[in-house]
Amino acid sequence: MNELWGNVLEFVTSDKVWSVSRAIILIIIGLITAKLVSSTAKRLIGKKIDVHRAMLLKRGSYYLILFLFLISALHELGFNLNVLLGAAGIFTVAIGFASQTSASNLISGLFLVFERPFTVGDVIRVGTTTGEVLSIDPLSVKLRTFDNLFVRIPNESLIKSEVTTLTRFPIRRIDIMVGVAYKEDLKKVRTILESVATKNPLCLEEPKSQYIFQGFGESSLDIQFSVWTKRENYLELKNSIHEQIKNAFDEHKIEIPFPHRTLYAGSITEAFPIKQT
Amino acid sequence: MNSVYPNPSTWWGSFTFNDRQILRWKIGPLTIFVRYLSKEWQITYERLEEFGDSESTWCVDQVDSIPEEFGNTSRYIFGKASNVLTVTPILADRPVISRPRSPFNLALGEETTLYVSTPLWVELAVGDSKIKLDEIAMQRPSDTWFGPSTREGELCYASSTYCRLGLEELPQRYHRAITPVLIRNQANSALSVERLNVPAPHLPLYTTPSGQLWTPKIVLTREEDGEMAALRIEKNPPEEARDGMEVRKPRKVSSEGVLIRAFNAMFN
Repeated sequence: MNELWGNVLEFVTSDKVWSVSRAIILIIIGLITAKLVSSTAKRLIGKKIDVHRAMLLKRGSYYLILFLFLISALHELGFNLNVLLGAAGIFTVAIGFASQTSASNLISGLFLVFERPFTVGDVIRVGTTTGEVLSIDPLSVKLRTFDNLFVRIPNESLIKSEVTTLTRFPIRRIDIMVGVAYKEDLKKVRTILESVATKNPLCLEEPKSQYIFQGFGESSLDIQFSVWTKRENYLELKNSIHEQIKNAFDEHKIEIPFPHRTLYAGSITEAFPIKQT
Repeated sequence: MNSVYPNPSTWWGSFTFNDRQILRWKIGPLTIFVRYLSKEWQITYERLEEFGDSESTWCVDQVDSIPEEFGNTSRYIFGKASNVLTVTPILADRPVISRPRSPFNLALGEETTLYVSTPLWVELAVGDSKIKLDEIAMQRPSDTWFGPSTREGELCYASSTYCRLGLEELPQRYHRAITPVLIRNQANSALSVERLNVPAPHLPLYTTPSGQLWTPKIVLTREEDGEMAALRIEKNPPEEARDGMEVRKPRKVSSEGVLIRAFNAMFN
């Protein structure tokens, strides 16, 4: 019994146990410090930056502090840090090769957060997909399209491709393409278009509407008429102004032509006999 | 112009309804029907698109039914609805942009007063605690953008009428309020006035005995060359409505008496 007690005492007072205890204490202190520092950093700076950067700051500071304390704990346990870091380097390279895509997405995600081309709640268009941003995560951005589909776009493709943020500025322009018959008086057409824009309350008075003559089309004089509106009223104005232009043209007897096709059956044949019954 | 409820000289005030009673307000281009049922309020309105100033009259009367062609109807259900409806005129919730008939230059050291006519809304609230039911524009003004670029600026309403140099040029309209704007140019160069931004959400409303609505005078002083102007809203009714009674407090209370604005934000 005495011998056992002596062995236990010897074990407890040995350097090894002291090192392990010190390492455990270091990890506990590390956990508490990391938690405290990251929460305080988020509280102090979090209000000045957006949600994603705040989250990144919190996580970054937490893991950095924890990592430093972990290294110290390993040092206490007698690990040779040079060898350990060397091994970690080789391990990282191996992991890097194996998870190239994920790493690329992760780095792209970081760039997205710092560049901030859009934030949660914005409406963006990537390729042919248009939707509201639900979240910006380390590997991907999640969108909800307007037909209520959930779309995951990898961060890497967002960094590589063209992204349009539709909700960045408070006002938007609608370009209306309209063709009128060659016989029409363009001055009159312009006056009618401008009066339609003035009468529509959703159409902004400033910036003024723009009338651009696009050219002599195949079967019509092509005109671009551009009007501005508040971003939220974009669809409503797009619907109402097209209808109002059509009505105004009808009222003033201005023809919106459609392509005419004349059928010709060759020089030797007679004209098509058309009979009305 | 006539009224049976409750003050014969104005279309606003508190109106007490009997069960199933319908009252009709006709104010300029707007017609509102309000029906009271013991647990419900129903509001129906219609607005004329084309409207001449000479038709700016008003009346409040009792009717038997609401015409079916009136489309804009809202219903408000209460556990037990109070039978008192408070009708109040109120100014726009955004600044209003007005233009002179043609832009003019104000010489250095000079001052002038412009009269701006701004659109009104009708606010309908019930009970002693004035629970707001709806706000209806008498005329839906056009939206407009006021700012240095399409990226920066603020969304405003465009006044459909010109601001005038003489009060006699401005017709009396029951569906619009008048704001006198005094512009002082104390800088060393002439000031070109093309557009004027009236901070409608910061203005209270006063009425004259004849029922014309006024806001306090706005004083704009350009003291140095450059972009800055001091804007001051006077605390009393304007001289033109000296005995004016306050009808509605401003929507937003400005913390300071003097608002300093970038010059571009006042004139453009």
